[in-house]
Amino acid sequence: MDGYVKAALAIWEGLPYILGGLWWTAGLIIGAMGLGLLFGIPLAVAHVYGGKAMRRFVSAYIWLFRGIPILVQLYLFYFGIMAYLSEIPALSFLPLSSGFLSAVLVLGLTSAAYQSQIFRGAIQGLPPGQLKAARALGMSDATAIRAIILPQALRLAIPAWSNEYSILLKDSALAFTIGVLEVMSRTRSVAAVTHQPLPLSLLAGALFFFLTWAGIKALKRLEAKVRIPGYAHQGSL
Amino acid sequence: MRKRLGLLLAALAVFVLCFGGLAAAEEKVYINGIDFGFPPFGFVDKDGKPSGFDVESLNWIAKKMGFKVKHQPMDWDGIIPALLAKKIDIIASGMSATAERAKKVDFSIPYYEVTQVLVVPEKDNTSLADILHSGKKIGVQRGTVTAKLLEELVTKPGYKFEVVPYDSTDLSLEDLKIGRIAGSGMDSTIAKEAMKNPGYKIAGTFDAKPEKYGYAMRKEDKEFQKKINEGLKLLMADPYWKELKAKYGL
Repeated sequence: MDGYVKAALAIWEGLPYILGGLWWTAGLIIGAMGLGLLFGIPLAVAHVYGGKAMRRFVSAYIWLFRGIPILVQLYLFYFGIMAYLSEIPALSFLPLSSGFLSAVLVLGLTSAAYQSQIFRGAIQGLPPGQLKAARALGMSDATAIRAIILPQALRLAIPAWSNEYSILLKDSALAFTIGVLEVMSRTRSVAAVTHQPLPLSLLAGALFFFLTWAGIKALKRLEAKVRIPGYAHQGSL
Repeated sequence: MRKRLGLLLAALAVFVLCFGGLAAAEEKVYINGIDFGFPPFGFVDKDGKPSGFDVESLNWIAKKMGFKVKHQPMDWDGIIPALLAKKIDIIASGMSATAERAKKVDFSIPYYEVTQVLVVPEKDNTSLADILHSGKKIGVQRGTVTAKLLEELVTKPGYKFEVVPYDSTDLSLEDLKIGRIAGSGMDSTIAKEAMKNPGYKIAGTFDAKPEKYGYAMRKEDKEFQKKINEGLKLLMADPYWKELKAKYGL
Protein backbone atom coordinates (compact mmCIF):
# COMPACT_ATOMS: atom_id res chain seq x y z
CA MET A 1 0.00 0.00 0.00
CA ASP A 2 2.78 2.33 1.01
CA GLY A 3 4.32 1.76 -2.42
CA TYR A 4 1.21 2.95 -4.26
CA VAL A 5 1.00 6.07 -2.14
CA LYS A 6 4.65 6.86 -2.88
CA ALA A 7 4.13 6.25 -6.58
CA ALA A 8 1.04 8.46 -6.69
CA LEU A 9 2.85 11.16 -4.75
CA ALA A 10 5.84 11.03 -7.11
CA ILE A 11 3.55 11.47 -10.12
CA TRP A 12 1.57 14.25 -8.47
CA GLU A 13 4.64 16.21 -7.42
CA GLY A 14 6.42 15.78 -10.71
CA LEU A 15 3.40 16.47 -12.89
CA PRO A 16 3.64 20.28 -13.31
CA TYR A 17 7.33 20.10 -14.17
CA ILE A 18 6.93 17.20 -16.58
CA LEU A 19 3.89 18.82 -18.22
CA GLY A 20 6.06 21.88 -18.82
CA GLY A 21 8.16 19.62 -21.04
CA LEU A 22 5.23 19.28 -23.45
CA TRP A 23 6.06 22.73 -24.86
CA TRP A 24 9.58 21.60 -25.69
CA THR A 25 8.40 18.31 -27.14
CA ALA A 26 5.79 20.15 -29.22
CA GLY A 27 8.46 22.62 -30.34
CA LEU A 28 10.73 19.77 -31.42
CA ILE A 29 7.92 18.10 -33.35
CA ILE A 30 6.62 21.22 -35.06
CA GLY A 31 10.13 22.37 -35.92
CA ALA A 32 11.21 18.97 -37.21
CA MET A 33 8.01 18.24 -39.14
CA GLY A 34 8.19 21.70 -40.70
CA LEU A 35 11.84 21.36 -41.64
CA GLY A 36 11.15 17.88 -42.99
CA LEU A 37 8.32 19.24 -45.12
CA LEU A 38 10.39 22.17 -46.32
CA PHE A 39 13.21 19.90 -47.52
CA GLY A 40 11.17 16.77 -48.18
CA ILE A 41 9.01 18.22 -50.97
CA PRO A 42 11.89 19.56 -53.10
CA LEU A 43 13.80 16.33 -52.52
CA ALA A 44 10.80 14.31 -53.70
CA VAL A 45 10.30 16.50 -56.78
CA ALA A 46 14.01 16.27 -57.56
CA HIS A 47 13.87 12.51 -57.16
CA VAL A 48 10.94 12.07 -59.53
CA TYR A 49 11.55 14.78 -62.15
CA GLY A 50 15.23 15.57 -61.73
CA GLY A 51 17.97 14.20 -63.91
CA LYS A 52 20.40 11.46 -63.06
CA ALA A 53 22.66 13.71 -60.98
CA MET A 54 19.72 15.01 -58.98
CA ARG A 55 18.48 11.52 -58.30
CA ARG A 56 21.95 10.51 -57.12
CA PHE A 57 22.10 13.46 -54.78
CA VAL A 58 18.69 12.70 -53.27
CA SER A 59 19.62 9.04 -52.85
CA ALA A 60 22.86 9.97 -51.11
CA TYR A 61 20.98 12.33 -48.81
CA ILE A 62 18.45 9.67 -47.90
CA TRP A 63 21.10 7.02 -47.31
CA LEU A 64 23.07 9.35 -45.09
CA PHE A 65 20.22 10.35 -42.81
CA ARG A 66 18.47 7.01 -42.79
CA GLY A 67 21.69 5.16 -42.19
CA ILE A 68 22.91 6.89 -39.05
CA PRO A 69 21.04 6.39 -35.77
CA ILE A 70 19.41 9.57 -34.44
CA LEU A 71 21.37 9.28 -31.21
CA VAL A 72 24.68 9.29 -33.09
CA GLN A 73 23.50 12.19 -35.25
CA LEU A 74 22.55 14.19 -32.15
CA TYR A 75 26.05 13.75 -30.77
CA LEU A 76 27.69 14.56 -34.12
CA PHE A 77 25.67 17.74 -34.52
CA TYR A 78 25.71 18.98 -30.95
CA PHE A 79 29.28 18.16 -29.96
CA GLY A 80 30.74 18.24 -33.44
CA ILE A 81 29.32 20.46 -36.18
CA MET A 82 27.61 23.02 -33.95
CA ALA A 83 30.57 23.29 -31.58
CA TYR A 84 32.83 23.82 -34.60
CA LEU A 85 30.53 26.48 -36.07
CA SER A 86 30.31 28.33 -32.78
CA GLU A 87 34.07 28.97 -33.00
CA ILE A 88 33.40 31.25 -35.98
CA PRO A 89 32.89 34.81 -34.68
CA ALA A 90 30.65 35.85 -37.59
CA LEU A 91 28.10 33.24 -36.56
CA SER A 92 28.03 34.20 -32.90
CA PHE A 93 24.53 35.69 -33.20
CA LEU A 94 23.10 32.22 -33.87
CA PRO A 95 22.05 30.09 -30.88
CA LEU A 96 24.55 27.41 -31.86
CA SER A 97 25.07 26.03 -28.40
CA SER A 98 21.38 25.36 -27.94
CA GLY A 99 20.60 21.67 -27.71
CA PHE A 100 17.12 22.46 -29.00
CA LEU A 101 18.46 23.78 -32.30
CA SER A 102 20.66 20.73 -32.82
CA ALA A 103 17.75 18.42 -32.03
CA VAL A 104 15.37 20.19 -34.43
CA LEU A 105 17.99 20.07 -37.19
CA VAL A 106 18.76 16.38 -36.69
CA LEU A 107 15.13 15.32 -36.39
CA GLY A 108 14.09 17.62 -39.25
CA LEU A 109 16.81 16.59 -41.68
CA THR A 110 16.21 12.91 -40.92
CA SER A 111 12.49 13.38 -41.30
CA ALA A 112 13.10 15.12 -44.63
CA ALA A 113 14.72 11.91 -45.87
CA TYR A 114 11.67 9.87 -44.89
CA GLN A 115 9.14 12.51 -45.93
CA SER A 116 10.74 12.78 -49.37
CA GLN A 117 9.96 9.11 -49.89
CA ILE A 118 6.38 9.60 -48.73
CA PHE A 119 5.91 12.42 -51.23
CA ARG A 120 7.74 10.55 -53.95
CA GLY A 121 5.32 7.66 -53.55
CA ALA A 122 2.37 10.03 -53.67
CA ILE A 123 3.64 11.80 -56.79
CA GLN A 124 4.33 8.53 -58.56
CA GLY A 125 0.91 7.28 -57.54
CA LEU A 126 -0.74 9.96 -59.66
CA PRO A 127 -1.78 8.99 -63.20
CA PRO A 128 1.20 9.75 -65.49
CA GLY A 129 -0.95 11.42 -68.13
CA GLN A 130 -1.51 14.49 -65.98
CA LEU A 131 1.85 16.06 -66.69
CA LYS A 132 1.43 15.46 -70.41
CA ALA A 133 -2.03 17.04 -70.32
CA ALA A 134 -0.66 20.06 -68.50
CA ARG A 135 2.11 20.43 -71.07
CA ALA A 136 -0.46 20.20 -73.83
CA LEU A 137 -2.27 23.13 -72.21
CA GLY A 138 0.96 25.12 -72.50
CA MET A 139 2.03 24.92 -68.87
CA SER A 140 5.69 24.78 -67.99
CA ASP A 141 6.81 21.72 -66.05
CA ALA A 142 7.44 23.84 -62.96
CA THR A 143 3.95 25.33 -63.06
CA ALA A 144 2.39 21.93 -63.69
CA ILE A 145 4.20 20.40 -60.72
CA ARG A 146 3.27 23.30 -58.47
CA ALA A 147 -0.34 23.72 -59.56
CA ILE A 148 -1.40 20.22 -60.57
CA ILE A 149 0.84 17.49 -59.23
CA LEU A 150 1.74 18.71 -55.73
CA PRO A 151 -1.75 19.77 -54.60
CA GLN A 152 -2.96 16.24 -55.28
CA ALA A 153 0.13 14.44 -54.06
CA LEU A 154 0.28 16.32 -50.76
CA ARG A 155 -3.34 15.40 -50.03
CA LEU A 156 -2.65 11.77 -50.81
CA ALA A 157 0.42 11.82 -48.58
CA ILE A 158 -1.41 12.77 -45.39
CA PRO A 159 -2.06 9.22 -44.07
CA ALA A 160 1.57 8.21 -44.52
CA TRP A 161 2.59 11.58 -43.17
CA SER A 162 0.71 10.96 -39.91
CA ASN A 163 2.75 7.79 -39.57
CA GLU A 164 5.89 9.87 -39.84
CA TYR A 165 4.50 12.17 -37.16
CA SER A 166 4.11 9.37 -34.64
CA ILE A 167 7.61 8.05 -35.34
CA LEU A 168 9.15 11.49 -35.06
CA LEU A 169 7.33 12.12 -31.80
CA LYS A 170 8.96 9.12 -30.22
CA ASP A 171 12.37 9.92 -31.70
CA SER A 172 12.11 13.38 -30.15
CA ALA A 173 12.45 11.75 -26.72
CA LEU A 174 16.13 11.18 -27.56
CA ALA A 175 16.75 14.92 -27.29
CA PHE A 176 17.23 14.45 -23.54
CA THR A 177 20.77 13.28 -24.31
CA ILE A 178 21.80 16.81 -25.29
CA GLY A 179 20.02 18.57 -22.47
CA VAL A 180 16.72 19.60 -24.09
CA LEU A 181 14.18 19.87 -21.29
CA GLU A 182 11.46 17.91 -23.06
CA VAL A 183 9.10 15.38 -21.48
CA MET A 184 11.61 12.54 -21.29
CA SER A 185 14.45 14.49 -19.72
CA ARG A 186 12.12 16.01 -17.14
CA THR A 187 10.74 12.57 -16.33
CA ARG A 188 14.27 11.33 -15.69
CA SER A 189 15.03 14.29 -13.44
CA VAL A 190 11.93 13.72 -11.33
CA ALA A 191 12.64 9.99 -11.18
CA ALA A 192 16.11 10.72 -9.81
CA VAL A 193 14.69 12.74 -6.93
CA THR A 194 11.70 10.58 -6.08
CA HIS A 195 13.34 7.20 -6.81
CA GLN A 196 10.16 6.11 -8.60
CA PRO A 197 11.27 5.44 -12.19
CA LEU A 198 8.40 3.08 -13.04
CA PRO A 199 5.35 5.22 -12.17
CA LEU A 200 7.01 8.18 -13.85
CA SER A 201 7.71 6.17 -16.98
CA LEU A 202 4.01 5.34 -16.97
CA LEU A 203 3.24 9.05 -16.84
CA ALA A 204 5.67 9.81 -19.68
CA GLY A 205 4.14 6.97 -21.67
CA ALA A 206 0.66 8.39 -21.14
CA LEU A 207 1.80 11.83 -22.29
CA PHE A 208 3.40 10.50 -25.47
CA PHE A 209 0.34 8.36 -26.10
CA PHE A 210 -1.85 11.44 -25.77
CA LEU A 211 0.36 13.45 -28.15
CA THR A 212 0.27 10.64 -30.72
CA TRP A 213 -3.49 10.29 -30.44
CA ALA A 214 -4.14 14.05 -30.64
CA GLY A 215 -1.75 14.53 -33.57
CA ILE A 216 -3.14 11.66 -35.61
CA LYS A 217 -6.68 12.82 -34.91
CA ALA A 218 -5.81 16.33 -36.10
CA LEU A 219 -4.23 14.95 -39.27
CA LYS A 220 -7.33 12.80 -39.93
CA ARG A 221 -9.40 15.96 -39.69
CA LEU A 222 -7.08 17.71 -42.07
CA GLU A 223 -7.32 14.79 -44.46
CA ALA A 224 -11.13 14.96 -44.46
CA LYS A 225 -11.10 18.72 -44.82
CA VAL A 226 -8.82 18.96 -47.85
CA ARG A 227 -10.27 15.90 -49.59
CA ILE A 228 -11.37 16.66 -53.12
CA PRO A 229 -15.06 15.67 -53.36
CA GLY A 230 -15.74 12.95 -55.90
CA TYR A 231 -12.06 12.34 -56.44
CA ALA A 232 -10.93 8.82 -55.80
CA HIS A 233 -7.35 7.79 -56.10
CA GLN A 234 -6.07 5.34 -58.66
CA GLY A 235 -7.84 3.30 -61.22
CA SER A 236 -10.83 5.56 -61.45
CA LEU A 237 -9.29 8.18 -63.70
CA MET B 1 9.93 51.76 -53.47
CA ARG B 2 8.28 52.42 -50.16
CA LYS B 3 8.00 48.70 -49.53
CA ARG B 4 11.70 48.28 -50.15
CA LEU B 5 12.53 51.07 -47.73
CA GLY B 6 10.42 49.39 -45.07
CA LEU B 7 12.24 46.15 -45.64
CA LEU B 8 15.58 47.89 -45.37
CA LEU B 9 14.55 49.54 -42.11
CA ALA B 10 13.36 46.22 -40.74
CA ALA B 11 16.65 44.58 -41.65
CA LEU B 12 18.50 47.44 -39.98
CA ALA B 13 16.38 47.07 -36.87
CA VAL B 14 17.16 43.36 -36.69
CA PHE B 15 20.85 44.12 -37.13
CA VAL B 16 20.84 46.70 -34.35
CA LEU B 17 18.89 44.37 -32.07
CA CYS B 18 21.42 41.62 -32.64
CA PHE B 19 24.37 43.80 -31.79
CA GLY B 20 22.52 45.48 -28.96
CA GLY B 21 21.95 42.00 -27.57
CA LEU B 22 25.64 41.24 -27.91
CA ALA B 23 26.61 44.39 -26.05
CA ALA B 24 24.20 43.61 -23.25
CA ALA B 25 25.51 40.07 -22.98
CA GLU B 26 29.01 41.27 -22.32
CA GLU B 27 28.79 40.52 -18.62
CA LYS B 28 30.02 36.96 -18.73
CA VAL B 29 27.55 34.34 -17.62
CA TYR B 30 29.27 31.07 -16.78
CA ILE B 31 27.24 27.99 -17.57
CA ASN B 32 27.32 25.11 -15.17
CA GLY B 33 26.59 21.74 -16.73
CA ILE B 34 24.79 19.64 -14.20
CA ASP B 35 23.45 16.13 -13.97
CA PHE B 36 19.91 16.74 -12.78
CA GLY B 37 19.64 13.11 -11.87
CA PHE B 38 22.12 13.29 -9.03
CA PRO B 39 20.53 14.28 -5.73
CA PRO B 40 21.51 15.72 -3.34
CA PHE B 41 24.30 17.32 -5.42
CA GLY B 42 22.17 18.31 -8.39
CA PHE B 43 18.48 17.85 -9.07
CA VAL B 44 15.35 19.82 -9.88
CA ASP B 45 13.03 20.78 -7.06
CA LYS B 46 9.24 20.52 -7.12
CA ASP B 47 8.94 23.78 -9.04
CA GLY B 48 11.39 22.58 -11.66
CA LYS B 49 14.20 24.86 -10.51
CA PRO B 50 17.82 23.69 -10.43
CA SER B 51 18.62 22.78 -6.89
CA GLY B 52 21.04 20.82 -4.80
CA PHE B 53 24.26 21.08 -2.86
CA ASP B 54 26.49 21.94 -5.83
CA VAL B 55 23.97 24.37 -7.30
CA GLU B 56 23.70 26.35 -4.08
CA SER B 57 27.44 26.21 -3.46
CA LEU B 58 28.23 27.58 -6.90
CA ASN B 59 25.55 30.27 -6.58
CA TRP B 60 27.20 31.40 -3.36
CA ILE B 61 30.66 31.43 -4.95
CA ALA B 62 29.39 33.34 -7.99
CA LYS B 63 27.84 36.00 -5.80
CA LYS B 64 30.97 36.31 -3.69
CA MET B 65 33.36 36.43 -6.65
CA GLY B 66 31.18 38.67 -8.78
CA PHE B 67 30.12 36.61 -11.76
CA LYS B 68 26.85 35.21 -13.02
CA VAL B 69 26.09 31.53 -13.27
CA LYS B 70 23.39 29.55 -15.10
CA HIS B 71 22.71 25.88 -14.52
CA GLN B 72 22.22 23.82 -17.65
CA PRO B 73 21.02 20.21 -17.45
CA MET B 74 23.23 17.73 -19.28
CA ASP B 75 23.24 14.03 -19.78
CA TRP B 76 26.09 12.58 -17.74
CA ASP B 77 27.57 10.61 -20.65
CA GLY B 78 28.14 13.78 -22.65
CA ILE B 79 29.01 16.19 -19.89
CA ILE B 80 32.81 16.31 -20.40
CA PRO B 81 32.49 16.54 -24.20
CA ALA B 82 30.08 19.43 -23.61
CA LEU B 83 32.67 21.19 -21.45
CA LEU B 84 35.40 20.71 -24.04
CA ALA B 85 33.06 21.86 -26.82
CA LYS B 86 32.39 25.04 -24.78
CA LYS B 87 28.71 24.33 -24.40
CA ILE B 88 29.26 24.76 -20.70
CA ASP B 89 32.06 26.38 -18.67
CA ILE B 90 32.14 24.33 -15.50
CA ILE B 91 30.84 21.05 -14.13
CA ALA B 92 29.81 21.39 -10.50
CA SER B 93 27.76 18.27 -10.23
CA GLY B 94 29.23 15.75 -7.84
CA MET B 95 32.05 14.83 -10.18
CA SER B 96 34.91 12.70 -8.93
CA ALA B 97 38.31 14.18 -9.71
CA THR B 98 39.79 11.03 -11.24
CA ALA B 99 43.25 10.93 -12.80
CA GLU B 100 41.74 9.87 -16.11
CA ARG B 101 39.37 12.84 -16.22
CA ALA B 102 42.18 15.15 -15.12
CA LYS B 103 43.94 14.38 -18.40
CA LYS B 104 41.18 16.25 -20.22
CA VAL B 105 40.01 18.81 -17.69
CA ASP B 106 41.34 20.63 -14.63
CA PHE B 107 39.66 20.17 -11.29
CA SER B 108 39.11 22.65 -8.50
CA ILE B 109 40.33 21.94 -4.99
CA PRO B 110 38.45 18.91 -3.58
CA TYR B 111 35.37 19.69 -1.51
CA TYR B 112 33.88 16.32 -0.69
CA GLU B 113 34.99 12.72 -0.23
CA VAL B 114 33.02 9.59 -0.99
CA THR B 115 33.53 5.84 -0.87
CA GLN B 116 32.05 3.12 -3.07
CA VAL B 117 29.49 0.81 -1.53
CA LEU B 118 27.32 -2.11 -2.53
CA VAL B 119 23.60 -1.85 -1.83
CA VAL B 120 21.65 -5.09 -1.38
CA PRO B 121 18.09 -5.97 -0.32
CA GLU B 122 17.55 -5.63 3.41
CA LYS B 123 16.77 -9.31 3.84
CA ASP B 124 19.97 -10.44 2.11
CA ASN B 125 22.74 -11.39 4.53
CA THR B 126 25.47 -12.18 1.97
CA SER B 127 28.60 -10.11 2.58
CA LEU B 128 30.22 -7.92 -0.04
CA ALA B 129 33.17 -10.31 -0.32
CA ASP B 130 30.85 -13.26 -0.90
CA ILE B 131 28.94 -11.49 -3.67
CA LEU B 132 32.20 -10.54 -5.39
CA HIS B 133 33.10 -14.22 -5.67
CA SER B 134 29.67 -15.68 -6.27
CA GLY B 135 29.36 -15.12 -10.01
CA LYS B 136 26.21 -13.09 -9.39
CA LYS B 137 25.16 -9.94 -11.21
CA ILE B 138 25.99 -6.48 -9.86
CA GLY B 139 24.24 -3.44 -11.29
CA VAL B 140 25.84 -0.02 -11.68
CA GLN B 141 25.22 3.29 -13.45
CA ARG B 142 27.11 3.51 -16.72
CA GLY B 143 30.03 5.92 -16.91
CA THR B 144 30.47 6.33 -13.15
CA VAL B 145 33.55 5.77 -11.05
CA THR B 146 31.85 2.79 -9.45
CA ALA B 147 31.32 1.26 -12.88
CA LYS B 148 35.00 1.61 -13.64
CA LEU B 149 35.96 0.16 -10.29
CA LEU B 150 33.74 -2.89 -10.86
CA GLU B 151 34.98 -3.41 -14.40
CA GLU B 152 38.57 -3.41 -13.16
CA LEU B 153 37.81 -5.61 -10.21
CA VAL B 154 36.10 -8.27 -12.32
CA THR B 155 39.25 -8.87 -14.38
CA LYS B 156 41.36 -9.54 -11.27
CA PRO B 157 42.11 -13.15 -10.43
CA GLY B 158 39.79 -14.73 -7.90
CA TYR B 159 36.92 -12.35 -8.45
CA LYS B 160 33.79 -13.70 -10.07
CA PHE B 161 30.74 -11.57 -10.77
CA GLU B 162 28.98 -9.95 -13.70
CA VAL B 163 28.66 -6.18 -14.21
CA VAL B 164 25.29 -5.01 -15.53
CA PRO B 165 25.31 -1.39 -16.72
CA TYR B 166 22.21 0.77 -16.23
CA ASP B 167 21.15 4.21 -17.37
CA SER B 168 20.72 5.34 -13.78
CA THR B 169 21.25 3.97 -10.30
CA ASP B 170 17.51 4.12 -9.76
CA LEU B 171 16.87 1.68 -12.56
CA SER B 172 19.41 -0.75 -11.11
CA LEU B 173 17.58 -0.49 -7.79
CA GLU B 174 14.35 -1.41 -9.59
CA ASP B 175 16.02 -4.55 -10.87
CA LEU B 176 17.50 -5.23 -7.45
CA LYS B 177 13.99 -5.06 -6.00
CA ILE B 178 12.75 -7.82 -8.29
CA GLY B 179 15.90 -9.88 -7.90
CA ARG B 180 17.44 -9.67 -11.38
CA ILE B 181 20.71 -8.56 -9.82
CA ALA B 182 22.27 -9.39 -6.45
CA GLY B 183 23.46 -5.90 -5.61
CA SER B 184 23.95 -2.37 -6.93
CA GLY B 185 27.23 -0.51 -6.67
CA MET B 186 27.21 3.24 -6.07
CA ASP B 187 28.73 6.24 -4.29
CA SER B 188 28.14 6.41 -0.56
CA THR B 189 26.19 9.64 -1.07
CA ILE B 190 23.80 8.07 -3.55
CA ALA B 191 23.43 5.08 -1.26
CA LYS B 192 22.38 7.45 1.49
CA GLU B 193 19.69 8.84 -0.82
CA ALA B 194 18.58 5.37 -1.85
CA MET B 195 18.23 4.33 1.78
CA LYS B 196 15.40 6.84 2.08
CA ASN B 197 13.31 4.11 0.47
CA PRO B 198 12.87 1.12 2.76
CA GLY B 199 14.06 -2.34 1.81
CA TYR B 200 17.77 -1.73 1.14
CA LYS B 201 20.96 -1.85 3.12
CA ILE B 202 24.69 -1.48 2.50
CA ALA B 203 26.48 -4.82 2.25
CA GLY B 204 29.90 -3.25 2.50
CA THR B 205 32.39 -0.69 1.25
CA PHE B 206 34.65 -1.51 -1.68
CA ASP B 207 38.34 -1.61 -0.99
CA ALA B 208 39.31 1.41 -3.04
CA LYS B 209 40.79 4.84 -2.46
CA PRO B 210 38.04 7.28 -1.45
CA GLU B 211 37.36 9.62 -4.33
CA LYS B 212 37.29 13.36 -4.09
CA TYR B 213 34.70 15.58 -5.70
CA GLY B 214 35.84 18.69 -7.52
CA TYR B 215 34.47 21.14 -10.07
CA ALA B 216 35.74 20.45 -13.58
CA MET B 217 36.85 23.26 -15.88
CA ARG B 218 38.66 23.60 -19.20
CA LYS B 219 42.42 23.50 -18.91
CA GLU B 220 42.88 26.82 -20.66
CA ASP B 221 40.53 28.76 -18.36
CA LYS B 222 43.21 29.39 -15.74
CA GLU B 223 41.76 32.66 -14.52
CA PHE B 224 38.31 31.16 -14.01
CA GLN B 225 39.85 28.24 -12.12
CA LYS B 226 41.60 30.67 -9.80
CA LYS B 227 38.32 32.49 -9.15
CA ILE B 228 36.52 29.23 -8.43
CA ASN B 229 39.21 27.90 -6.11
CA GLU B 230 39.32 31.14 -4.18
CA GLY B 231 35.53 31.17 -3.90
CA LEU B 232 35.44 27.53 -2.84
CA LYS B 233 38.00 28.20 -0.10
CA LEU B 234 35.94 31.14 1.15
CA LEU B 235 32.79 29.03 1.09
CA MET B 236 34.33 26.15 2.99
CA ALA B 237 35.53 28.55 5.67
CA ASP B 238 32.11 30.18 5.95
CA PRO B 239 29.45 28.99 8.44
CA TYR B 240 27.14 28.63 5.43
CA TRP B 241 29.11 25.54 4.33
CA LYS B 242 28.09 23.65 7.46
CA GLU B 243 24.53 24.82 7.04
CA LEU B 244 24.45 23.61 3.44
CA LYS B 245 25.88 20.22 4.35
CA ALA B 246 23.29 19.79 7.07
CA LYS B 247 20.50 20.84 4.69
CA TYR B 248 21.42 18.13 2.19
CA GLY B 249 22.35 15.50 4.75
CA LEU B 250 25.99 15.26 3.68
